[in-house]
Amino acid sequence: MHDDQDYRSSLRVAPLAIQKTDLGSESESSQTADDASQASTNLYSTDHITPPSTPDGSEEDLDAQQTAARPVFHNFLRAFYPFHPNFAISDSTVTLPLNEGDVVLVHSIHTNGWADGTLLVSGARGWLPTNYCEAYDPEEMRNLLKALLNFWDLLRSTVTSDGDIFGNQEFMKGIIAGVRFLLERTNCLTREASTIQRNEILRRGRKSLLSELSSLVKTAKLLQEMLRSYLRADDNVNEIIDEMILKAFKIVVKGVRFLDVLEEERRLRAPPAVNVMATLAEETYVPPTPPVESTATFEDAHGQGQEAGSRSDDNSHLAEGAQTNASTNKRLSSVTHLPTLQDIDCRNPVPYAGIACRPNRVSERLNSSHDTFLSYLGSFIGRLHLQSQSRPELALAIKQSATSGSELFAVIDTVCRHNSSESESLDQARTAMFDHIRDLVYSARDILSAVDPDAEDIIMPQDNSRLLVAATGCVKAAGECVAKAKWVLERIGDFDFENEQTGLGISLEVFEKVSESRPRTPETSDALVSKTPEATPEVKRSSKRSSRHAPLDKPLPQIPGAAPQPENRNSAQISPPASRPQSMIIGEDVFSVASSVSSSKPSLPPLPRLRTSISLEESYSPMTDNSHDSEYHSSFRSDTTSSSAGSNSTYLSRDSESSLVSQAPTRASTPDSALAPKSQPSMSELSVDGSAGTSEEVDDVESKLLEKTFAHELMFNKEGHVTGGSLPALVERLTTHESTPDAVFVSAFYLTFRLFCSPSKLAAALIDRFEYVGDSIHMASPVRLRVYNVIKGWLESHWRDSTDREALPAIRHFAEFQLGSLLPSAGKRLVELADRVSSTDGSLVPRLVSSMGKTSTSTAQYVPADVPLPNPVVTRSQHNLLSSWKNGGASPCVLDFEPLEIARQLTLKQMNIFCSILPEELLGSQWMKKGGIDSPNVKAMSGLSTDVSNVVADTILQHSDVKKRAAVIKQWIKIAHQCLHLNNYDGLMAIICSLNSSIISRLRKTWEFVSPKRREMLQALQTIVEPSNNNKVLRARLQGHIPPCLPFLGMFLTDLTFVDIGNPATKQLPGAGHDEHGLTVVNFDKHTRTAKIIGELQRFQMPYRLTEVADLQEWLQSEIVRVKESEQGTSQITYYRKSLMLEPRENTLKTPVEAPSAQANHGQKADLFSWMTRDRGQQNHATVAI
Amino acid sequence: MAPRPGRYQPAREFHVVVLGAAQFVHNEWIESYDPTIEDSYRTQVNVDSRPVVLEILDTAGTEQFVAMRDLYMKTGQGFLLVFSITSASSLAELAGLRDEIIRIKDDEKVPIVICGNKADLEDQRSVPRTKGFSISQRWGVPYYESSARTKTNVDEVFVDLCRQMLRRDDASETYPEDSDRFDPYSYKYYKDKRKSRKSQNKDPHRPRCVVL
Repeated sequence: MHDDQDYRSSLRVAPLAIQKTDLGSESESSQTADDASQASTNLYSTDHITPPSTPDGSEEDLDAQQTAARPVFHNFLRAFYPFHPNFAISDSTVTLPLNEGDVVLVHSIHTNGWADGTLLVSGARGWLPTNYCEAYDPEEMRNLLKALLNFWDLLRSTVTSDGDIFGNQEFMKGIIAGVRFLLERTNCLTREASTIQRNEILRRGRKSLLSELSSLVKTAKLLQEMLRSYLRADDNVNEIIDEMILKAFKIVVKGVRFLDVLEEERRLRAPPAVNVMATLAEETYVPPTPPVESTATFEDAHGQGQEAGSRSDDNSHLAEGAQTNASTNKRLSSVTHLPTLQDIDCRNPVPYAGIACRPNRVSERLNSSHDTFLSYLGSFIGRLHLQSQSRPELALAIKQSATSGSELFAVIDTVCRHNSSESESLDQARTAMFDHIRDLVYSARDILSAVDPDAEDIIMPQDNSRLLVAATGCVKAAGECVAKAKWVLERIGDFDFENEQTGLGISLEVFEKVSESRPRTPETSDALVSKTPEATPEVKRSSKRSSRHAPLDKPLPQIPGAAPQPENRNSAQISPPASRPQSMIIGEDVFSVASSVSSSKPSLPPLPRLRTSISLEESYSPMTDNSHDSEYHSSFRSDTTSSSAGSNSTYLSRDSESSLVSQAPTRASTPDSALAPKSQPSMSELSVDGSAGTSEEVDDVESKLLEKTFAHELMFNKEGHVTGGSLPALVERLTTHESTPDAVFVSAFYLTFRLFCSPSKLAAALIDRFEYVGDSIHMASPVRLRVYNVIKGWLESHWRDSTDREALPAIRHFAEFQLGSLLPSAGKRLVELADRVSSTDGSLVPRLVSSMGKTSTSTAQYVPADVPLPNPVVTRSQHNLLSSWKNGGASPCVLDFEPLEIARQLTLKQMNIFCSILPEELLGSQWMKKGGIDSPNVKAMSGLSTDVSNVVADTILQHSDVKKRAAVIKQWIKIAHQCLHLNNYDGLMAIICSLNSSIISRLRKTWEFVSPKRREMLQALQTIVEPSNNNKVLRARLQGHIPPCLPFLGMFLTDLTFVDIGNPATKQLPGAGHDEHGLTVVNFDKHTRTAKIIGELQRFQMPYRLTEVADLQEWLQSEIVRVKESEQGTSQITYYRKSLMLEPRENTLKTPVEAPSAQANHGQKADLFSWMTRDRGQQNHATVAI
Repeated sequence: MAPRPGRYQPAREFHVVVLGAAQFVHNEWIESYDPTIEDSYRTQVNVDSRPVVLEILDTAGTEQFVAMRDLYMKTGQGFLLVFSITSASSLAELAGLRDEIIRIKDDEKVPIVICGNKADLEDQRSVPRTKGFSISQRWGVPYYESSARTKTNVDEVFVDLCRQMLRRDDASETYPEDSDRFDPYSYKYYKDKRKSRKSQNKDPHRPRCVVL
């Protein structure tokens, strides 16, 4: 599959001297993409033999978790820190550069901590340090990840032929079900889901996920067509398969991203959704650093291009929608998600007063504002981990952080003022926090102001680290400060805000504080200044603020547009929101909040500053605007026009620019797509695709996703065979609409289903399947037909009335009503069958003798029916012997007949029983239970085998003449030899076992009369039935053996026993369940194995074409009966005694002296073996009594 | 079988035969168990830091092929007699099996371990522990209670058996062989028999016979 790829030797890092393949051009592009960021990011670059130390020193616990305590092999890892090896990336490098958030499919992990993995984002394979990664297995993604693993295994497997795999679309089901599961779990299954409706990024993420899926489905169908039409240049097929793997990777990458966005949204949304801080305090004790998931929202090496695209996309929407400040705010905030807005909302006096009752305690306020602050900082820090982020985002994040920070500050301040005596240390902490916030704001300002107009609209990583330090400082300082404040509160007691000022006034006052810490109110800032020892922070702060106010300060070229905009903002506020998408309306709220916050002040300084960066964004957007889908575009465009009504000229120009963006065909030629090789369609290409032609297909995929399915409850092995599944999932597999069901699976199911479900449950599941498929119009009729066929097949060929009777009423009812109403003739047929089945014994339509093994044996090789039967080798005199025996004469001896004919008749006798063994006799080890009552033919078979052995022993031992015994032994050796020629291994086994038994083999004198030639023959025969190495020789012989052949049944029985006992009945399907243990599903693998063994046995249920000689059969039978009657189950002991009598032990004679001493010993033991010692004694010591 | 093992030969190979009414699948409950593979019955264990390759012949499922037992038993150098602690009758069957082993191997000291399986099903126990131990004492063979399912005492059972076999193997080498045992074709087991015969002869404490 990867033949066409570049081979890369492990020049630098690879801990093992393994040549790793790479997905050719893929990796180049990804690495090129990485190169950009690498230049600036590779802080941790060296030639590592062992993985570089874990990036963040403070995360020792993480380190331990990653490397030391990892007993579990994780299939997927996710980088939580970028890894960019220092050296230039050459073709010979196999170290994978990682970007934070990259998801990797792990193939193996070396003990030194390096893992061999494939980067999903690019398909590049190489070594990567596991300590930079953590296991990635979020519950929502689990099924998709699992499906990807299966997919990967399947597509790369060489075991199964392409035709088998790709001849139908079965192999696609896992991926589809995985995507469905993801969307289902996240409540985003339908387009109308509220989450999707609310969040534009999610909506687009979902759409791009689906279009990727549809593209994969399309490719898969193409492949199927190709294989079907035999236009199979193998290269082509391989190319397509490679492409499919990449597409599957991308589906997962998009799924990951989707989930990231969703989680960030959830996280930000959760606290303020309750509007007031009380719950916030309970629900989100936000950790200082957000989980990696949130960081990774936008980043991926390969995704970077796309992400940049989508990000700028947002921004370009911004541009379009940003006639005003207000809409600017809104767009941005919708990037960082609604909650922010609502959160800001909280600060609005009105809602606040409304719920003023509970959260007015200072401690509550303290907690909630601290939480808010931390959540902003958290998401900010999280975003800092992105390799790039846009300026507006940064600006907004800083603004939010500063706002919430100042709110916290205000609360602290209140505490300070409430009891100044206790709060000295608090004061210091407060000052420290203030400093940190200031640092953060300053840093941000510096970075934002140092804009190179031509530079990318992203914050450089080195700036990131600066911001990171500042933000982390804030987190720490805030934590200390809050702790101190709590300590103070404990001392002075909690108090109500309301006590200080009544009603709205309080919150207003708080707000005053907010705005006070913001630059606007000179008096409060003065107050603050006076409090802080440094005496300048507030000044600095206000100066900073003023820098925000004054666009003049900025060296930015974009500023010109900024100056006139304050008015715009106002106008935007006024403009009717009705014409805007929902998100914009929310955004407007933000703005109104913001404006109401600032409206008390005469000037509105901070916003223009933000706007500046936005205009930057705007100018940038056209270049990267690539991932829009047209739908979105158009809606936005109309919005733009409607809102542009009241805008000024600056504004109009921007508008024209933005509409140019959306209309110009430049989209397709993005830098990203230029980099991307053809096999790796970039997101932009895809979405162009999507908007152009495949929207139906996306819809198609979507409708597929909406279908009820249990496909995710199936488990597969690497060959793509079902190894486990819930009953509904198995039934679904049985009645798949896309292809004729896999014959092996179907026969295994019919044969074994009673082992894992009751017949009535199966009937119910089938009927349920019939019902729920009705929701999916395109496949309802084929599936229903299949359901009918499955039930028909069950009734016709697999019905076991004793157990299945209980299902009959349900089936009849189903046939009459559900099925009958849709397919009257089918319903009628089923009713007929149901009636007949209950009145007939045995199956209505005899099933093929070896339906399961059919495929493995070419029928042409069976002995054709027109070949004349061989003539029996029975002479006249032998006939006469037999007839005189029948007339009461003496019984002939085994020596009287031809070995060949005895072997033939024996074979016929055995085969008759063997052929009548029913598959159900072999299930659940039941031939060993209840005395084998449910497995009569198995029992008969083993009984016959034992009888034959006994006949052999008996016929030998019945002669007291040594030479006669030797002659009989020779005769049996010849018969065994003939059995081998007839491929009758069961007979061979029975005879050899007897000849080889201690009873016969000890007859030394007898054996001396057997010629060496016969002994050699026996030895050769014996090696065939030799049980060592798990019947290696016999297995090898039976492998692909052409019937007629009678295998040794015992070997099948042992195999079946071990499959039955050695494999559990159920499995845990991770992910699909409702708890962490996963779903318990049927271990179908066990049943497949059982069915396979039974199928192999059935393959040999093929009668010999030999002539039965009735008289000889009769004689054989009489011999068996005679032996049976005389022995009565103690045959072995009886024969052993006989053997000892014929040829007494010799050794005891050698040691007669020892005998007396032995007598004294172990009387008890001797007692136990009295029969033995007696025999011995009898021979050697006449004194021993019997 | 391998040529006569030298005293310090690194890995000895022993054949163990598992007998009894209760199946004792030594590698039960692995993810997907395929018994049709040759290797599934071969295992290497370390016994007192001596490597030993065990080939385990488990006849589960073929109890009804009575005549086969002789063949199986001949193959083995050590025997695991398994019964289920939940079934008294399964214990009763062991006596017959042991008699047969001793007869076939012609050796009362043949390495044997009695194994009360399904020890995880304590609540269904119908064979008291003491019963197992009393039989163990009477036969002079160790008794273990094990659970293949919970992997309790599974290894221990085999290790014990290995120790017994190793001890005999070591001991047998100090004695010259005698050749009184005749075996026309099963040369593979020929040596074992001679060994057992020999040790039987040389063991002064071995009961020679007899009831008078």
